[in-house]
Amino acid sequence: MLTLSGAVTTVTILLIVVFLFREGLGLFRSPAVEKGYALCVNAANPVVRLNPGQIKQIFDYEIVNWTELGGTDRAIELFRFDDIFSRYSEEELGAENDYDQLPDKLGEVVAASPGIIAFLPEEYLPHHLEGIRILRNEHITAGDFFGGREWIPTATPAPQYGTLPLLLGTLWVSIVAILIALPLGLSVAIYLSELANERTRKLLKPAIELLAGIPSVVYGFFGLVVLVPLVQKAFGLPVGETGFTGSVILAIMALPTIITVAEDAMRNTPRAMREASLALGATHWQTIYKVIVPYAKSGISAAVVLGIGRAIGETMAVLMVTGNAAVIPKTLFAPLRTIPATIAAELGEAPSGGAHYQALFMLGCILFLITLVINITAEAISKRQHNKGL
Amino acid sequence: MSKHTNQRIAFWIFRILGLIVVGILLWILGFIIWNGFGVINWEFLTEAPADGMTGGGIFPAIVGTCCLILGSMIVAFPIGVMSAIYTTEYAGNGRVVRFIRIMTDNLGGIPSIIFGLFGMSLFVNTFGWGDSILAGSFTLGLLVLPLVIRTTEEALKAIPDSFRTGSFALGATKLQTIRRVVLPMAFPNIVTGLILSIGRVSGETAPILFTVAAYFLPKLPTSIFDQVMALPYHLYVIATSGTDLEAARPIAYGTALVLIIIVLIMNILASVLRRYFGKKVKTN
Amino acid sequence: MIQAKNIDFYYDDFHALKGISMEMAANTVTAFIGPSGCGKSTFLRLFNRMNDLIPGTRLTGECLVEEKDIYTRGVNVDELRKQVGMVFQKPNPFPKSIFENVAYGLRVNGVDDRKFIEQRVKESLVGAALWDEVKDKLKKSAFELSGGQQQRLCIARALAIKPSVLLMDEPASALDPISTSKIEELIHELKKEYTIVIVTHNMQQAARVSDKTGFFMLGELVEFSDTKKMFLNPDKEQTQNYITGRFG
Repeated sequence: MLTLSGAVTTVTILLIVVFLFREGLGLFRSPAVEKGYALCVNAANPVVRLNPGQIKQIFDYEIVNWTELGGTDRAIELFRFDDIFSRYSEEELGAENDYDQLPDKLGEVVAASPGIIAFLPEEYLPHHLEGIRILRNEHITAGDFFGGREWIPTATPAPQYGTLPLLLGTLWVSIVAILIALPLGLSVAIYLSELANERTRKLLKPAIELLAGIPSVVYGFFGLVVLVPLVQKAFGLPVGETGFTGSVILAIMALPTIITVAEDAMRNTPRAMREASLALGATHWQTIYKVIVPYAKSGISAAVVLGIGRAIGETMAVLMVTGNAAVIPKTLFAPLRTIPATIAAELGEAPSGGAHYQALFMLGCILFLITLVINITAEAISKRQHNKGL
Repeated sequence: MSKHTNQRIAFWIFRILGLIVVGILLWILGFIIWNGFGVINWEFLTEAPADGMTGGGIFPAIVGTCCLILGSMIVAFPIGVMSAIYTTEYAGNGRVVRFIRIMTDNLGGIPSIIFGLFGMSLFVNTFGWGDSILAGSFTLGLLVLPLVIRTTEEALKAIPDSFRTGSFALGATKLQTIRRVVLPMAFPNIVTGLILSIGRVSGETAPILFTVAAYFLPKLPTSIFDQVMALPYHLYVIATSGTDLEAARPIAYGTALVLIIIVLIMNILASVLRRYFGKKVKTN
Repeated sequence: MIQAKNIDFYYDDFHALKGISMEMAANTVTAFIGPSGCGKSTFLRLFNRMNDLIPGTRLTGECLVEEKDIYTRGVNVDELRKQVGMVFQKPNPFPKSIFENVAYGLRVNGVDDRKFIEQRVKESLVGAALWDEVKDKLKKSAFELSGGQQQRLCIARALAIKPSVLLMDEPASALDPISTSKIEELIHELKKEYTIVIVTHNMQQAARVSDKTGFFMLGELVEFSDTKKMFLNPDKEQTQNYITGRFG
């Protein structure tokens, strides 16, 4: 019984891995084109496969000629299912008989025009495949997912599940947050451990620890009502919900952790080190930056790495202040979107088991792996410190 | 520039930065308290939301959060304490324990949104519990498990070995020793861990988004398969997506303050207990 | 030369040193002996003002190093500590290379000249009888040295800033007998250039290395005289009892 309970965290992690990846990897078995639909081209067209990005570009008129896709020099003619109704009358399509003529008419249209690409529901696909070819519905590939530059789960005919903007958004926001929080946190840690008198320390330390316990949604709320307007005004931006705002709120959230861990690490510097330095005529400040901070370095680095891990995984606060635009961030002063925020915002609307749902789980897998690597790094760093003392 | 001038400048910079940071942190607290203080009254705490969540109170959310606290503690506390007893008292210091510790630490480092995904996949869908207190409690329970385990381990390790050997010397078995000597002595610190876990659970939003939380549900839950409102999710909802965000602001301030008060009470309780425990060990 | 005049010292309410006066001449080794907690280390740490680091301490009386009162207002503590070097009970090298450990005192005192630093590091290591053992691995971490080597490194580190006084707080208590004898030999050599004060709990060591010995008990200086006389024919019965091992 006890032995079993000892394994509970291990089992939980295993279960998380299994369920996350089971749902997530399903994405790579999902069709690139919306379920229940297919793309048809003229049989003379040499192009046999299109990836989701290309399909989207075709239907956004960004690719207008088949040569761009390795085909013959011919303008692309888009044909959506509804277009059939402008070419044929209801009677011609057999409206009275459940549209029984519809598939054949669609077939005629596609066969008649060599540059066409038609987006059709599977149930009305032409029965005779003369002169037409149905493009194989490719699976979404890992390349589409990890290399895709757009995240538009609602795009038709091919939803875009490119994680690049989300991944970059997450990293940007987190790293800038740490860049803000580290110098500030380190200063406060130095102030608390070296300069403040005992009474100030006893007052401030619990207050800072308390701040570490405040729910992230409260920080997010504060960011929303205070920081967002502040950032908008201060930088003269059209909206205050930017990556930078997210970084600031994450930095504030990371401060208590960084301060506490760094302060502990510095206070753990042996008194002998401190005394040796002072006995050699070093000033207190020289002792701090030449001996105490270097000695506490691995403790401080562990704090930083853990801080980054927290920031990367933080959901609610970021969701509330970054504006959530899924574009590859060019500047921090524009809305962007992180991986956790995407999951939180979209999972509620993604039908269970669909490609979108699976894509969100795949994002979860990425997040899981990133934080796993970070945790292991932090562990290794603090282990190095233990060995150093010997 | 002499090294003393350097020192004076550096120390002033640190003092100023220290004050700024502490100021920012206190500003956040003060801001929420200042704006939320006027909102909180008896009606706010005991009535259901009204007028498209721009009026009324937050009673259902308070009840929901209490249900989740209770549920997640029932899930996490017994198994967490047992796991800690196993690793500190039974498993020695071998490879297995080190592996378990690493796993516990890693579990603690997993972002809460991942727990949300996992809870949805396993409890809501695979077990077919739906969005329910049960699913939410299990999800939150697993989330705080590492915290419970770690605080319990520390509490157990703080008991000097002399008490254990003393008990063994009187012919007590290991189980008797743990039950009659170690656990009672460690109890206050274990409870401290429990209280900290409650503080953590009460504020988590991401894990309950897809496992239990209801957008608006004025009726109270009648079974563990019901959905509930919860304070953090309620704050998120009225802060970001309501019929009239401006009109809902006072409610949001009030909700944020209630959350902070919960965390505050839990922290104070924990430190009081810790001090009480510290004294008790000294007199021993 | 070091002088103490009527020193009283308190940790909060605890009266740690009671009315102590003594004089330590240049180029001699003075040893302080006595049971644990007798105040000998506290007394030693007065002379580079190391006790300043402990909150709640109070001092009356005068401490003079080279005829100057080191506790009057306006004394530059860092300058004083440059002049009065210290070696601690446990070897405490910094987590830096061997070279950087020795160079540390020079660097914090504003010396940048690389040639000069290299020269001084070598001199100091030679002075601490460590040069031959480490000359090929100056860039290695100081933690790779043995305990005895680390302690000699700490001595070299103290020598590098050319103090006139060297305070040693039980410098060999954490070392094995061979390393201890090396340190003792070194003290003999260093006496030619420095005024040395050494605290030790090891009476044979005091007898071997020192010219004069002070015996402390419960915060008082019980007896202070030539080492030979102290060990052969002490004036006080307490001293006799301690030296012959009847208590302490």
